[in-house]
Amino acid sequence: MKRTKYILFGFLMSVIVLSCKEKVPQDSNKLKSASWEEIEENAEGTTVNFMMWQGSTAINDYINNYVVPSVKKKFNIDLQISGGQGPEIVQLVMGEKQADIEQGQVDMVWINGETFFQLRKIEGLWGPFVGLLPNASLINFEDSYISTDFQQAVNGMEAPWSVNQFAIVYDSEKLPSPPKSIPELEKFLREHPGTFTISNDFTGMTLLKSFMAELGGGPNALNGSFDEEKYNQLSEKLWSFINNNKQYFWKEGSTFPKEQSKMNQLYANGELLIAYGFSEGGIEDKVLTGLYPKSTKGYAWENGTIRNSNYLGILHNAPQKAGAMQVINFLLSPEAQLKKADANGMDSNTVLSMDKLEPEWKEKFLDARKRQYGPTLKQLEVNAIEEPAPEYMIRLYEDFRKRVIEN
Amino acid sequence: MKIKKPNIGIVLFLLIGVVPFAAAFIYALLYSFGVIGVANNGFTLQFWESVLASGTFFKSFGYSFIIAFVAVTSSVGGALWITLKFRKQLEKQFLSFIIYLPLAIPGIVTGFFTFQLFSKGGFFARISYKLGLITKASEFPDLVNDGLAFGIILSFITMIMPFFVLLFLNVYKNERVEELSVLAQSLGADANQITRKVFLPILIQKTWVLIVLYFIFLLGAYEVPLILGQESPQMLSVLIIQEIKQYDLDKISEGYVVAVLYTLIVSAAAIVLFLPKRKRVYAN
Repeated sequence: MKRTKYILFGFLMSVIVLSCKEKVPQDSNKLKSASWEEIEENAEGTTVNFMMWQGSTAINDYINNYVVPSVKKKFNIDLQISGGQGPEIVQLVMGEKQADIEQGQVDMVWINGETFFQLRKIEGLWGPFVGLLPNASLINFEDSYISTDFQQAVNGMEAPWSVNQFAIVYDSEKLPSPPKSIPELEKFLREHPGTFTISNDFTGMTLLKSFMAELGGGPNALNGSFDEEKYNQLSEKLWSFINNNKQYFWKEGSTFPKEQSKMNQLYANGELLIAYGFSEGGIEDKVLTGLYPKSTKGYAWENGTIRNSNYLGILHNAPQKAGAMQVINFLLSPEAQLKKADANGMDSNTVLSMDKLEPEWKEKFLDARKRQYGPTLKQLEVNAIEEPAPEYMIRLYEDFRKRVIEN
Repeated sequence: MKIKKPNIGIVLFLLIGVVPFAAAFIYALLYSFGVIGVANNGFTLQFWESVLASGTFFKSFGYSFIIAFVAVTSSVGGALWITLKFRKQLEKQFLSFIIYLPLAIPGIVTGFFTFQLFSKGGFFARISYKLGLITKASEFPDLVNDGLAFGIILSFITMIMPFFVLLFLNVYKNERVEELSVLAQSLGADANQITRKVFLPILIQKTWVLIVLYFIFLLGAYEVPLILGQESPQMLSVLIIQEIKQYDLDKISEGYVVAVLYTLIVSAAAIVLFLPKRKRVYAN
């Protein structure tokens, strides 16, 4: 019986030991004043964990078949990818903070303004680090769409990875003249009932933000910090517009697609005549893979659609901060950005400034494979609007549910 | 102190079965009162008040209850009918294999499969279009993400009816229902009476615990309603995850309130349902 006692004791001890992660103190502050050579030295041979959205084959292909082998070859870094976006990242950081874990599971993350706002709120990001990266000098920080994320100055706490604009997607054969303003949309809804909807996610809420800007009188109506009064006034108009036309929405407005990907499928199978999304509508790869018809086109709303950047951040408890910086610096290199810009691949707009690039790289960027179907960022430029403060999005989420979905 | 064998079993059960559950429940409870949570500022009742005042939880609970009830009743009813009518055929190898097959398919796959078959752009819609029954996708009836939860209920039935068929077949054999039926017949019972007085009481009585457990399992199902449900009302697990993952960090605790409420209700129901029965068994 004594033996059983020992076995039980051993089992308990191993549970306790396994539940406590090794705590290796790392002098993060020292890293902030280190030279790039020292950072490179620290990064050599590390394993870096990167948490990112893995919902696109083009993105996964770029990361798994280009970035991972490249950083291994160039810097002997093992880049491990794990799936997760906004809420998952925030949950992870909150959980680890709660448990007081000094050496987290993830080193670097792919985020946008909303997650940036949340991570700043819970002090989940490490930095500023962008100024330490040699390739940061090539970034076009004069562009306010790059240096400001949801009305918050980036301040070196996240590195811009690509810039893009929201676009409306339609089939030019089925719908020769798509709506470009709220009154036109209202007319369209009545003429084509059941062919438009709002996805109950980030994408749908972004569309609602541009609608709110239009209801506010112009592209800049939501600029500046969050204004409760303005929000109440404009959102009231927005809900009454949606609720007045709800019966002409997809499924008569009784439900809304949970995510953009579902809406894209509904567009692809012909249930919807209009879809929308970031990356200028994400048209190129969907036409190339055969999901969307070749007659698919994209455009910006008359009052404008939102343009923003997405970013790479390092978590406050990242065990391999130097390794993460090395990987981020590589992702910002002309080589990696050019590869990412290939219209047949990830099809992203670079954050690098053409004026700051060496002539040979500039030429390569100009010669890069161009889109055949989707609109370019340049074409939508005149209709670009800034991302409003994150509180607008948070409030829209809540009120869209209360005032529209549950209504 | 000597550790006796039965005690080791209890210790292991406590360690593996009770401790993690209790720890998770306490964590959720503390979170729901704002005691823990990075974005929380200490004890508050505001999350409980807001959840109870909004009524979303009760709507969602009622919705989940009805769906689980309809799915379990239909599955049990269907399985009883199949057992009664096709018992002999089901003993053949090929058919028994067909019955086993759905049990090997995970819920999430069943959900996707139902979506592919019954959505407005799915298999049946396409066939209807080819046959000229509909002229555009929107004319096809609303069978997934619909208000009546047709898709969810259908998936649940597909998932659990085979299990009940197998269960009833086994009980039928083990409880010698065949022999009892013959006996009843020789005593003058007609086919209808045999079904009502012998077949149904024995099968239901021997399996009711499992039926109730399946009902509880469906009440908390996640993947199928996530794929096939609508945005409001939602089934409970979908609602909980949505609240916990929401962008407003100050309101994450509301998700934990829903989780705690759900656990309390189900635990209370389980105690009420199972305890008196056990006592009676022991009393006998």
